[in-house]
Amino acid sequence: MEEVEEAEDAPTADFRLFASTYSKTKNISAQTIRKGGKDFESHGTRAQASALDASREAMRDVLSYTRVHNPKSGSRGWYFPDWWRDWPEDWEEQQKSKGGKEGEEKEKIPPLHIRDRVVILEHASVASQSLGRAATGLPKDRPAKGRDWLLPEEALYLVERGSLDLWWPTRGVEEIFPADGSVAAAAAAAAEAEGEQKGDGNEEDEDDEYKYGFPLSLQAAYALLIGEDGERGKVSLQKFQVFSHLKRAGYNVIRAPTTNLPPPVQDDTQLTTTTTPAKPKTVTEWLISCLPQSKESSPVDPPPYGPLVPPGLYRSYNTIYNHLSLRPQASPTDQPRVPAQSPETDSPFKIHYHIYKASTHFTRTRPPPPDFYISVISATSTTIPTLSEISSLLASAPADLPKTEWLTGGPGRLYARLKHGYRNVLLAVNDHGVINYMRFAEGGFAREELFRGFDGRVSGEPRRGGGGGGGGKKSGNNGRGSRGGRGGGRGGGRDYYPDLPAKGVVAGR
Amino acid sequence: MASTEDDRQVRISKIAGRYLVFDIDDVTYIRRQHGICAVFTGTMPQNPTQNVFLGLPLELYAEDAKMLLDRKVAYIADDPLEHLTRLKSMDDETRKSYLQSIKTQRRTAQLVIDEAKAQSQARHKDKRKPKQPQPPVVVPTELPPASVDDAAAVEQEGGEEFLFESSSNKPVKTAPAPPQKPPVKEQLPAITPTTSNAMISTGTSNPDVENHTALPLYSYLNERGYFITPGLRFGGDFSVYPGDPFRYHAHYMANSYGWDEKIPMLDLVTSGRLGTAVKKSFLMGGQKPATDDSEAGELRAFCIEWAGM
Repeated sequence: MEEVEEAEDAPTADFRLFASTYSKTKNISAQTIRKGGKDFESHGTRAQASALDASREAMRDVLSYTRVHNPKSGSRGWYFPDWWRDWPEDWEEQQKSKGGKEGEEKEKIPPLHIRDRVVILEHASVASQSLGRAATGLPKDRPAKGRDWLLPEEALYLVERGSLDLWWPTRGVEEIFPADGSVAAAAAAAAEAEGEQKGDGNEEDEDDEYKYGFPLSLQAAYALLIGEDGERGKVSLQKFQVFSHLKRAGYNVIRAPTTNLPPPVQDDTQLTTTTTPAKPKTVTEWLISCLPQSKESSPVDPPPYGPLVPPGLYRSYNTIYNHLSLRPQASPTDQPRVPAQSPETDSPFKIHYHIYKASTHFTRTRPPPPDFYISVISATSTTIPTLSEISSLLASAPADLPKTEWLTGGPGRLYARLKHGYRNVLLAVNDHGVINYMRFAEGGFAREELFRGFDGRVSGEPRRGGGGGGGGKKSGNNGRGSRGGRGGGRGGGRDYYPDLPAKGVVAGR
Repeated sequence: MASTEDDRQVRISKIAGRYLVFDIDDVTYIRRQHGICAVFTGTMPQNPTQNVFLGLPLELYAEDAKMLLDRKVAYIADDPLEHLTRLKSMDDETRKSYLQSIKTQRRTAQLVIDEAKAQSQARHKDKRKPKQPQPPVVVPTELPPASVDDAAAVEQEGGEEFLFESSSNKPVKTAPAPPQKPPVKEQLPAITPTTSNAMISTGTSNPDVENHTALPLYSYLNERGYFITPGLRFGGDFSVYPGDPFRYHAHYMANSYGWDEKIPMLDLVTSGRLGTAVKKSFLMGGQKPATDDSEAGELRAFCIEWAGM
């Protein structure tokens, strides 16, 4: 319990710790740090008041920091919200199909979201390997060709972490980034610096450096880049908070395609577990296989009246259970699925980001299959997803099968399989900046036919017969088995579970 | 700062239906005077790869915003609109003063950087030749370490000095002139100010605050000195602290209900158990709706604890 509380309370932890650990602003002596030293309630002592004051002062000091950029780092970006406004989203596809190269396999590049890209970078180095994209296949004379453009969340994240100096342009793109590839504004800034060295009186009359625009504040960046859901060139605050939370934690995050088409399935693991009747090995088994149990693998249509399990001789539980299973069950497959009904356009349950672990080798133009799919949900204004919402959400994610050793592990790995599921999506629930992550997975309960264990080797698949699973189920079945009576003992010698008294069961009338 | 606190107007930026505060002075003011700590949501530029300490902006609840508005200590600004109109049609005067403020901050930043450089150089020099008497040129070593901080604070306030002239009564230029060697041909460092105060005048625009359904319970608790943060961590609407969360653990997990709202018994059990599991007690409250003869609704709050029979 204690650990829970400590961990849960950590986010409100003491800024004094921060101030001393990352002393960019202040040196605080080690004695003032008392980790986790919270009190139960106020007891009005001066010590308590001063400790609180120290904390608040430290917070103030730490948060008063102003972001400073090294002029050499070229960390400048410009806000051009309308440059790509009417650009066709599938421009690159068009270019590719035009440019021939038919025989080659089409490389799957992640969607560019070009219309949402609103900030242009002077140097690609700011964005490193994981952020920003350049549109390719542009005509040669187009200004700002080949420069990286950032999505609003990427730009805001970089501004916030002090890596990007966002500017408001007062001239057009074609003036700041002429088609010849130079950056006019950077040259102007350099010239300005020169000028200042020579005669420093000139900043009053002519501010050359700001000829093309001027820097924006963090607040302005928020005002320009945060918007309602689905607004072009903006990102909602909730999504941005989740995005930057994940980025800070070291994940690579890219925006998911807006169309709900499921990505192609990468995994080629065979999921087919449909039971093919095992080849009879002995004469007895062959004889048994001739008895009416052929319908065991497919659910039968129950007769319109009469008992569900027609009277007769049954050699295995499987047949009986198959007779008893009235409801069709959904069984997860690895096939790409098109959402059964077109998901309501206003449903918040959509995949918003693709997430890659830091250890996954990642390039922004050729990302591997994502490690996680995430949907960002408001904690206060969203209700629990309806069945259609959750199934169309899951359908838009590709299959994510349990590990192969789990799949082949028989009943022993049953819970690992169930827990992992066959496809899954993370939900990031955001309550005013506090974020909680949940995982919704599609469990394959229909695949785990527990009754197969009861028959031992008779009709169950060989691999399911092994393993130590089913232990808990046996006792539950004892009572039923003893009720059966007739035909007991016939299958002796093949008794896989010795404590199961009867193998053959005849349904009562 | 104390002199201005009496008539301080906190600027609450309303961006896409969210309420944000960007000014650190506003943040400390509402924390000290109004018991609102809310949630820091921004990345810390000093150490951007962690999620424990977060920085500006501060995201408020709609209830916070409404409460401050009702106390007449805040105004709500439509930030996107104000910024766009200001940026798109900036008159020369504003532009000049904005750029001037930026330039001032850049100079200060340069001073801080130079000073830090000089200090570290001096330290290295000391290490290398401990016996050599210190050259008198290197003044910075004799400065108290806090001067860096002062300068940083000045740097922060630089953007606001048009607003709060009285606040900059600190010795502004404690930093010595940069080392007298001819300055390297360098551009001034660029800066990103945190707020737009130098560009945007204190607006009076006042959009409405929506969705503050829990306001009665919220302000009831706030008036009694409780601090409130989002309840997601513990599974309620709000986590309620008996004082500043810097010092105390949360005592309650609170849910707000309507006066005649039917609450399933199971909800009580669920929330009560949950609260007990995280060592909080479950608090619920609601306000009596106004009727014809009584206008101010009475608010009742209850705590539920496990009886442990």
